[in-house]
Amino acid sequence: MNFPSVPPSLPMALSDLELVERARGGDPEAFRELVVRHQRRVYAVALGIVKDRDLAWDVSQEAFVRVHQHLAEFREESSFTTWLHRITARVAIDVLRKERPGRRSDVADVPEAVLQEAAPGVLATALGTNPQETMLRHELSARLTEALGELPDLHRAILVLREMDGLSYEELSLRLGIPKGTVMSRLFHARKKMQALLAGYAGIDAPGRGNAR
Amino acid sequence: MRCAGAAPLLGSLPGELDPTEAALLGAHLATCEPCRARLADIEALSGVVRDGLRDEAARRDLSIFADGVMARIPASAWQGAPAGPLERLRAFLRRHRVLAAASALAPALAALALYLYIGRTGGTGPSELSVEVTSEDLAAIVLDTSDGPVILVGDGSEGT
Ligand SMILES: [Zn+2]
Repeated sequence: MNFPSVPPSLPMALSDLELVERARGGDPEAFRELVVRHQRRVYAVALGIVKDRDLAWDVSQEAFVRVHQHLAEFREESSFTTWLHRITARVAIDVLRKERPGRRSDVADVPEAVLQEAAPGVLATALGTNPQETMLRHELSARLTEALGELPDLHRAILVLREMDGLSYEELSLRLGIPKGTVMSRLFHARKKMQALLAGYAGIDAPGRGNAR
Repeated sequence: MRCAGAAPLLGSLPGELDPTEAALLGAHLATCEPCRARLADIEALSGVVRDGLRDEAARRDLSIFADGVMARIPASAWQGAPAGPLERLRAFLRRHRVLAAASALAPALAALALYLYIGRTGGTGPSELSVEVTSEDLAAIVLDTSDGPVILVGDGSEGT
């Protein structure tokens, strides 16, 4: 078992909510502990969305600063992690929007051509039934950020929020300000592209052609 | 339902599709091998995205990250907050990069005052307090206030 290390200045095993309570009371150490506890996952989400490491660092810091600013408004019915990630996604997406304003295209169905090009099941087969153990999975993980970098910004944001935080179509739609149907088709395209990229990296390129009906 | 309509529905979370969509997708999957394979790909990819980002984040040195965040929060943000006496003492000590029992001049006095302070305010004990001992040449002043003795420790940055 791995436990996150807790600095000796705070009693062990304070919950997030207890730390939030203390931070609200003006205790900077409690807030610092929240930062340390969550920084890596926040950074992972930010990196997934903005893809640039330095930008991800800034986004993550800004997310924590905003969390601090709004601590008083935090309602405890949602978990601190959920709230923190929501803010992180907000900041990261704002950064993307600032960099690339207003590109919108709605896609309803997936074009037949995309399905024709696909080789469905190749990745799943290559990764096998016990995926945690395979070398291939490890290799693919190592090149994941590279592959993410190849996706259009909003496709990447959708995929990362879905995979890291399990956001629903509804939440993604609200968060990104695009219709639910668009979220769904973009998510499909993002996944398709990721699969193709990763399969390419791993040299497991399409042995057969997928067929669409 | 055709593949083109089914594809965007693949990889939905449980309960996320409306019942009609879910039924149509289920019926399609039952008869469509390629879409079952697509679904398997989506499921296989899912762990890869998560693990890849986590691995990458694990490689990043975040040792100064929290310092950066704390530096971006103005000190005044901690001063306005409502707090009990213990919190206020702790906040004061923090703001001055402090040292309660640290003074080279009066360590015993400071420790005693701290002990009295905790004792009088009914604190849960020294483990509640985060006390850093980080430097020398500090002068400790113990004020007897209505909250009990409060130790003021200068850090030399305020013109002493
Ligand atoms: Zn199909």
